[in-house]
Amino acid sequence: MGILSVPVERHTLGNGLRIVLSRDPSVPVVAVNLWYGVGSRNEAPGRTGFAHLFEHMMFQGSEHVPKNKHFELVERAGGTLNASTWFDRTNYFETVPSHHLELALWLESDRMGWMLPAMDQEKLDNQRDVVKNEKRQRYDNQPYGDWDERLQRLVYPERHPYHHTVIGSMEDLDAASLDDVASFFRTFYVPNNAVLTVAGDFDATRIIDTIGRYFGDIPAGAPPPPIPGESDLSPLIGETVRDHVVSDVPLPRVIMAFRIPPYSSDDFAVAEVARAVLGMGRASRLYRSLVRERRVAKDVVSYAFPLLTGASMMLVWATGYPGASPATLETALSEELEGLATADGHEVERAVAVAETDLVRGLEQVGERADLLSMFDLYFDEPQRLNREVDRLRAVAVEDVRLFAANRLGPDNRAVLVYEPESSR
Amino acid sequence: MTRVDRSRPPAPSAIRPFDFPDVDHRELGGGLDLRVARTGGFPVVSANLFVRAGESSLDEARAGLAVVAGDALEGGTKRRSGTELAESLERLGARLGVSTGWEGTTVSLSCLAERLDEAMGILAEAILEPEFPDDEVARTRDQQLAQIRQRAMDPSSLAADRAAHHIFAPGVPYARPLGGSLASVERLVREDLAEYAAAWYRPATSGMVVVGDVDVAEVEALVRARLGGWSGRPPAREEFEVVPATRERRVWVVDRPGSVQSEIRVGHVGVERSNPDVYALSVLNTLLGGAFTSRLNLNLRERNGFTYGVRSRFSLRSRPGSFQVSTAVAGDVTAPAVREILGELERLVEEGPIDDEVVAARDYIAGVFPLRLESTGQVASRIVEQVVFGLPEDYHRTYRDRIRSVTTDEALEVGRRHVRPYEAQVVVVGAAEVVAPALEQLAVGPVEVVSVG
Repeated sequence: MGILSVPVERHTLGNGLRIVLSRDPSVPVVAVNLWYGVGSRNEAPGRTGFAHLFEHMMFQGSEHVPKNKHFELVERAGGTLNASTWFDRTNYFETVPSHHLELALWLESDRMGWMLPAMDQEKLDNQRDVVKNEKRQRYDNQPYGDWDERLQRLVYPERHPYHHTVIGSMEDLDAASLDDVASFFRTFYVPNNAVLTVAGDFDATRIIDTIGRYFGDIPAGAPPPPIPGESDLSPLIGETVRDHVVSDVPLPRVIMAFRIPPYSSDDFAVAEVARAVLGMGRASRLYRSLVRERRVAKDVVSYAFPLLTGASMMLVWATGYPGASPATLETALSEELEGLATADGHEVERAVAVAETDLVRGLEQVGERADLLSMFDLYFDEPQRLNREVDRLRAVAVEDVRLFAANRLGPDNRAVLVYEPESSR
Repeated sequence: MTRVDRSRPPAPSAIRPFDFPDVDHRELGGGLDLRVARTGGFPVVSANLFVRAGESSLDEARAGLAVVAGDALEGGTKRRSGTELAESLERLGARLGVSTGWEGTTVSLSCLAERLDEAMGILAEAILEPEFPDDEVARTRDQQLAQIRQRAMDPSSLAADRAAHHIFAPGVPYARPLGGSLASVERLVREDLAEYAAAWYRPATSGMVVVGDVDVAEVEALVRARLGGWSGRPPAREEFEVVPATRERRVWVVDRPGSVQSEIRVGHVGVERSNPDVYALSVLNTLLGGAFTSRLNLNLRERNGFTYGVRSRFSLRSRPGSFQVSTAVAGDVTAPAVREILGELERLVEEGPIDDEVVAARDYIAGVFPLRLESTGQVASRIVEQVVFGLPEDYHRTYRDRIRSVTTDEALEVGRRHVRPYEAQVVVVGAAEVVAPALEQLAVGPVEVVSVG
């Protein structure tokens, strides 16, 4: 048996809503977590950023819940809540003291079934302003804030659904109307395009009945339409593509990204381990070499995005010291990527051990557990996969990592984004 | 299946009791305060070691020394290089983090429970036998210098640092950035760190907190084995008075040409952690700006669409920290946003909160309490807080009752005592060209444009 044994129970309501239950009464807290199968990849051309704006509208009330009441009721109950939009999905979640479970179910079901009657132009205009401020705060007014936009353009071709960012274009948002809200809702916010997970402290004998009472009479919708654009793409970029930005950033930074197999591929575990060997922890390759031994980088980062459509993306980055040349950083990163092709078994063991602890620690909170269960159900129709995550990483052999480095991280599959401080010119 | 009445929120079911986990508390030889809490669930454990070696004990010329010394602990020991230290821990899947604040340095370890003994041995080695090799010291120092440069160009960090500068009088440690200045950090060398660690990393006022699926006696035995020989007492901390920079309301525009947004901070000197008013202040701050449905957020975000979010908070430290409202807004609504913030503060202390808001805030704080105690790391942090501030033994057990007993009158009373809109310093990091004229017109105080960098 693996190190994890999170209980998992599955049901499906008549309207197609998928339900995952995971009981743990150790603390009187329960998480309600909904994943809808819609994200920025579903946005039509000229409508970028809409999935995220729509997420904001989901907090503007529904037929039986006035504006701001959603937040107010959950906060009064002593709960926390939020939502997020990403490429392949949008999630909504509350964690509440367990005696307020029904409140969360009532709120989530009301906006799944009865959102539109509460929509009006004033709310749309207000949330459009809020989103524009979110973009200013998180992207436009931030040093390096446009890195993901630039990287996505380099890694994915124009017609690919990941070519544009989740936050999208503000011009596109200006064009969004209440009709768009209504049609998006009817197209994607249907019970047969969602997974509901309840994790934590609940009454096992009553939970399914309770969920059925709140969600059961929401009508099913048509299956969502296919993803716009061209999802298929070559597994490699085919060359080294570049973007060199001179701007008011404090320090030079080089970001290198690679197309990698999609999250659904068995090979994705190899990418996860490879990225941990490279940049997870202080004994990782990049930290040891670039930060500690050669002292060319102030910090290093590595990440493998769990994306579904066509190809996913892995990246490494290094931030240099004042006055450092970006070329030095790029060379150093390249050398470590090449070195990965001769990685040894100890490096892989260390990487897996660290990734394992991080995974288990993440699961201590019911909200986190619920979120992963929803994801595995929505993406892979298999929430039980959570209990095998550690085994999946442990199964990666050093030869797999070497081969991955040789096949996927070379100059024929690189996007290089360089930030150079204005002042150093 | 019965149909559900959608017209009103469902009633809560029976509440299940929750208590803070039992904490076993004992003092080891050398004065180390050991606290162990047993929690069930996942097979992970968190061990946090707090040493009373904080930035507030340093004078301005040495600012940043505690932070850099803490960070340089990962540079290696008498027996292991930095890389060997990291490898020994990470092969066990253990994670070690060091964070230094005004009060002290916390070394936090997390690992699977079965590997605690070995990981604890490495933690002990790091704190008892740090080597501070020259190249690692140079690296840590250079990283901190780069960090300081990054803060100066990051609008939000810059606003925080400038707000502290304008709120506290010169010479008060809290007036400066926690991590020191280029001038104070540049000159740090190995001897500074080694002497600092030898003097300040001592057990007498330190605490070790272990939380997880562990046996209390076993933990005590292994901590004794690893840290039993540690002895000594750090120097007494220098007491300092916290004095405001001014009692006149002023507006400081930190010019950042071309900014598409203004970072706004509005604040003044607040209260110390041990102040008996903190319970009522928590309630008051929650309804003002501590939650999503607080007055400030409903006004600036949900009514006016000025911002993605706005918060207020009292920074609770051993001496009075700041009270601050913080937000980021589009340049052209900077003045209206400042007007609304000051208006909300004035309304709060003039009219006071209403009963319903107080009840909602109390319920929120008391209700989220268990939500923030799910993981071993969260529980450990709360217990460390007790050690740091000398909070009473029953602090966590009585916390929610104390919050629930705050009345509307008390909330108003502490608000009038500790929220002073007419003494607030307004700091705006943004494009002066755009925001300064409008702030002049607002006439809430003299406006001064400063350039930084």
